[in-house]
Amino acid sequence: MTDTANLVQRLPNDIGGLSAGKIEQVDHELEPWEKRCHALADVLDFHKIINTEEKRCGVEALGAEMVAKLSYYERWIVAFANILFRKRILTPTELALKMQDVQKRWDAYDNGVHAHGPDDLGDGPA
Amino acid sequence: MKDSHDHPHAETGATGRPGYYDFLESAVRELLIEKGHLAAGEIRRQIEVLDSRTPAVGAKVVAKAWCDPLFKARLLANGRSACEELGISFYDDTQVVVLENTSSVHNLVVCTLCSCYPRPILGLPPDWYKQKPYRARAVAEPRVVLAEFGTIIPDDVEIRVHDSTAMVRYLVMPQRPAGTESFTEEQLAELVTRDAMIGVIRANQPAANEP
Repeated sequence: MTDTANLVQRLPNDIGGLSAGKIEQVDHELEPWEKRCHALADVLDFHKIINTEEKRCGVEALGAEMVAKLSYYERWIVAFANILFRKRILTPTELALKMQDVQKRWDAYDNGVHAHGPDDLGDGPA
Repeated sequence: MKDSHDHPHAETGATGRPGYYDFLESAVRELLIEKGHLAAGEIRRQIEVLDSRTPAVGAKVVAKAWCDPLFKARLLANGRSACEELGISFYDDTQVVVLENTSSVHNLVVCTLCSCYPRPILGLPPDWYKQKPYRARAVAEPRVVLAEFGTIIPDDVEIRVHDSTAMVRYLVMPQRPAGTESFTEEQLAELVTRDAMIGVIRANQPAANEP
């Protein structure tokens, strides 16, 4: 078998049966944004916007480097954005502009300009 | 070996100021709400649902099955509908297959492709379940994997490894420990841990739990 045949036969998520190291019995409490991301995934599924298999494929489509380097929920949110672009529900431009808005709200909050704390979704000043 | 995607979040946490992916999540969610695809309260409500699901829910199911043979039969025939009988709502389209451990069969659950898990019953999976070493090895060398969890399965006991899918999830019903004949369902439920329902360990022995 050539080296490239192996790449074709094993997409990044397809790791069952490969050799791997010791299982470290690790866990962590989700960050607030990670929990929101999980809830977002469920709600997108309820609305038949992105289902579980589309999500898994979306993560795989990020490619081996991003799959290896991004954390679990980082992969999810990037995959969601890509899927939403492909389905023409969002555009890259509007997402970039909205991210700037969100960041500006935090900048204002950090500088004490904004009177409010993070809203009750925990996602920063409204 | 620690999987590379489990790195600590340098951008978040310590300062409370969100990082890139946190902004990305907020932006995606806000746009979907603005465009009318989601309602603002839906995410909050789903967070509450997620918070309400812990391994204690699954432990109750297992303890009931240990005590009630008719319920157990229904649970093994259709995991989802039997759980729904107990008021456990399924917020997704998944089915649940309940796997009974016996003196001749030990069941183990994995999701080799990603992290599929019976979340309505157990809550969210632990990080190790989502990482490469467990996903890669559970199907190839389950006895070695179980030994790493301190679970030694005799050679004459068959090990069945179940690989989850987007639509079908698995819950292990561990063997009821000896010496628990007089236990109530509540006392039995305390012996049933998350890891026992994944199949990597057995139910706890009562002595370890009694004062």
